[in-house]
Amino acid sequence: MNKKKQKLNLNRRNFLTGTASLAGIAATASVVPISIVNANHTEGSKGLPEFISWKDRDALIVHSDKGIETHRSAIGESLITPNRNVYIRNNMPTMTDYQIGNKNNWKVSIQGVKNPKTFTLGQLKKLGHTTMATILQCSGNGRGFFEHKVRGSQWKTGAAACVLWTGVPLMKVVEACGGINGDAVFMTSAGVDHEPTGLDPKKAMVERSVPKKVYQDAMLAWEMNGVPLPNAHGGPLRMVTPGYFGINNVKHLGKVAFTTEESSVKYMKTSYRISPIGKKGPQYPSCWEMPVKSWITRPTDETGTVKAGKVQIVGVAMGGTRKVRSVKVSVDGGKSWKRAKFVGPDLGKYAWRQFVLETTLASGTYNIASLASNGPDKQPELRMENRRGYAHNGWKDHSVNITVV
Amino acid sequence: DAKMIKGLEIFNETAGCAGCHVLKAAGSEGNVGPNLDTVDLTIESVVEMVTYGLGVMPAYGEEEILTKEEIEIVSYFVANTAGK
Repeated sequence: MNKKKQKLNLNRRNFLTGTASLAGIAATASVVPISIVNANHTEGSKGLPEFISWKDRDALIVHSDKGIETHRSAIGESLITPNRNVYIRNNMPTMTDYQIGNKNNWKVSIQGVKNPKTFTLGQLKKLGHTTMATILQCSGNGRGFFEHKVRGSQWKTGAAACVLWTGVPLMKVVEACGGINGDAVFMTSAGVDHEPTGLDPKKAMVERSVPKKVYQDAMLAWEMNGVPLPNAHGGPLRMVTPGYFGINNVKHLGKVAFTTEESSVKYMKTSYRISPIGKKGPQYPSCWEMPVKSWITRPTDETGTVKAGKVQIVGVAMGGTRKVRSVKVSVDGGKSWKRAKFVGPDLGKYAWRQFVLETTLASGTYNIASLASNGPDKQPELRMENRRGYAHNGWKDHSVNITVV
Repeated sequence: DAKMIKGLEIFNETAGCAGCHVLKAAGSEGNVGPNLDTVDLTIESVVEMVTYGLGVMPAYGEEEILTKEEIEIVSYFVANTAGK
C-alpha cells in the first residue's frame, strides 16, 4: 500500500515536471514521461502506464505502453466491458488534463453543413442526449492469429469491448447546423491529439472518413459506461461510429466535416487498408464495417482445466452493422454444431449478445468453437489473409482448446 | 562497441527516433510511439519496423531516409537495449 502511494507521488512529480517544461517548448513529443514497470507478461499485478494506472492490471495483457489488450476471460461477463478492463490502442499520445483544460469548453467544429458552426461541449449537451451500446474493436483484433509476420500489436480477442456511450446524436447537431451540404459523400472526423506532438498533421492527424450514411446512427460521446469519457479513451469528446472499426471512432474530437472526398492524411489514405500480403495502397478497402464475429470467453485455456460434467460454454457474438441472429457452438473442432442460446439484455444491433451453450463433457481434451451469423453473413472457417492482419473473423483461429478432468 | 555508439547516434540524431520513443539507453523521452523500455524486440523485427514504418512512424527504408546499413546498425542498438 505504502509502495503504491509512493509511486503515485512520484508520478505526480513527473507530471508536473513534464508540464513545466512545456512552458519553454512550444511543441514537444515528450509531454508526459511514461513510467511503466514491466511489459509482455500475462499475469501478476505489475505496472501499467501512468495514463491508465486506474485500469485493472490483472485483466490486461501489455503488448507495449501503447497497446494493451483485455484477457479473453476479462471481456465482461455482464455484457458491458467495465472501463477498467477496456483495451487501449492509441495512435497519438493520450491528451492530458492540462492540455484539455476546462472540459466544458472543449470545441468541435462542424463543417460541410448549411451553417458551419463550432460548439463547445457545454453547448452540445444542450442539443440532445442519448445512450447507446456499441462495440469498440481495433481493426487488428485477431492479428495475433496470422502466420505471416505482421507488424503491430499481436492482438488475439481482447482488442474489443462493448461500451455504453452517452452523448448527443450527431443528427441533432447536424439539424442545429441546418442540414448537410447536398454534395457530401463522406463524414470525416478529426482528432486534435496530434497537436501537442508538433508532428506534421498529414502524417500524424487521425482524420477518418466513413460513408456519409453513418451519421444517422453516430453520436458525439462524453460519457463511457456511466463516467465522464476518460482521456485514455479520447475524452472529453469522441466520435462513435456504430458498427465501424475502432479507428473511425475518433478520439479527442475536434472536427466533423461532411466532405466530397476522403481525407488525404496518412491514417486515411494508406494506413488501415485491407490489402493482399505484399501489396499496399489507397486503392484497397479501408477498415470500415466490422464483420460478423464471435468468440468463447469461458472456459478457455486461460481459465484452467474444467471439471467433467455439466459445463456452461459462454461467449460474445456481434453482427457488425447488422443484428446478430444466431450462434452455434462446437466442442469437436467444427465437426458438429449446436445452437447456443442468447442470454442477457439485447442492447441493439451494434452491441454484442452474450451466448451460452449448456452441455455435458466427459474428461478429455476438446476444441471448442463458435460460429455467428447475422442473416446474410456468417463467420468463415478461415481468416482472410491480408498484409496488416485486419478484420479477422474466421472461427477456427478463434477456437480454444480445453482440458476436462 | 563502435556499432552501439553509431546506433545511438542514428537513434538520437540521424533518424530522430528519440523524438517519439522512450529508451533509457538513449536518454530519450518521446511519447508518440511505444516506450521501447517496455518491449522485447528481435533485431529482425526492428529492421522490419524501421524499413516499412507503421502509422505515423516513417518507412525509413522504403522512403530511403536511412541506408540499409544504417537501419541494420540502429536496429542492432535498439534490439540490444529495448526491454532492459
